[in-house]
Amino acid sequence: MAGNKLFIRRRDGRIEVRLNDAGRAVAREAFGHVVAAERDPDHEWHASLNAPIDPASDDDDVVSKLHRQNEISTNAELAVMTLGEEFLNGAEAWAWLSTFQIALRSTAIANGLMTEEKLETCQPELLGYIRTLQQFLFALAECV
Amino acid sequence: MVAIERPWSVVVWDDPVTPMSVVVVIFKKIFGYSNNKCTQLMLTVHHEGRAIVWSGQRERAESYCVKLQVAGLQSTIEHDQ
Repeated sequence: MAGNKLFIRRRDGRIEVRLNDAGRAVAREAFGHVVAAERDPDHEWHASLNAPIDPASDDDDVVSKLHRQNEISTNAELAVMTLGEEFLNGAEAWAWLSTFQIALRSTAIANGLMTEEKLETCQPELLGYIRTLQQFLFALAECV
Repeated sequence: MVAIERPWSVVVWDDPVTPMSVVVVIFKKIFGYSNNKCTQLMLTVHHEGRAIVWSGQRERAESYCVKLQVAGLQSTIEHDQ
């Protein structure tokens, strides 16, 4: 990554993306997985994108589920489309943050890492990927 | 006599990977709460495993729950006892 700050909010409200090629490659992979998972019921992240809204009910409201699906897809596709941008507007930065966050939680769920103990004892490569996404999120949260 | 319906609650659940600052930002964006209130709610999620972040009509609770899920947080709705 370039410099200390991965994202910087400029005076005009735009957010400068300071990820280097390796950082953008991680982002590309994460955003691509979210787009794919929303479309493919067999994708390992698909279940985490379709969590119940009302667990006490046998089935959730179809309109709400469709709304969620549309919103997640829209954010992920916007994030993919703006991957090469040097600056993001507010809506684009929110799409990046939401999609990174979905990628982070989906990775943890798909690998059974939903406790601190399991997270700390997972494979170093996987832990490194999770820490990288967290780093992106920390930096973006300061800007949006 | 006015019949008072039991409210629906929006619940956010803890997980070990989501950065605390991200939870605060998402609460601010979705609910428009103050920074202090968002931080308090985030800490409740962190320490108690869950927090009720909004209560009211079912339709709005469902809408807020979907927004939180779209932002990547684990959220559900429940009918208050």
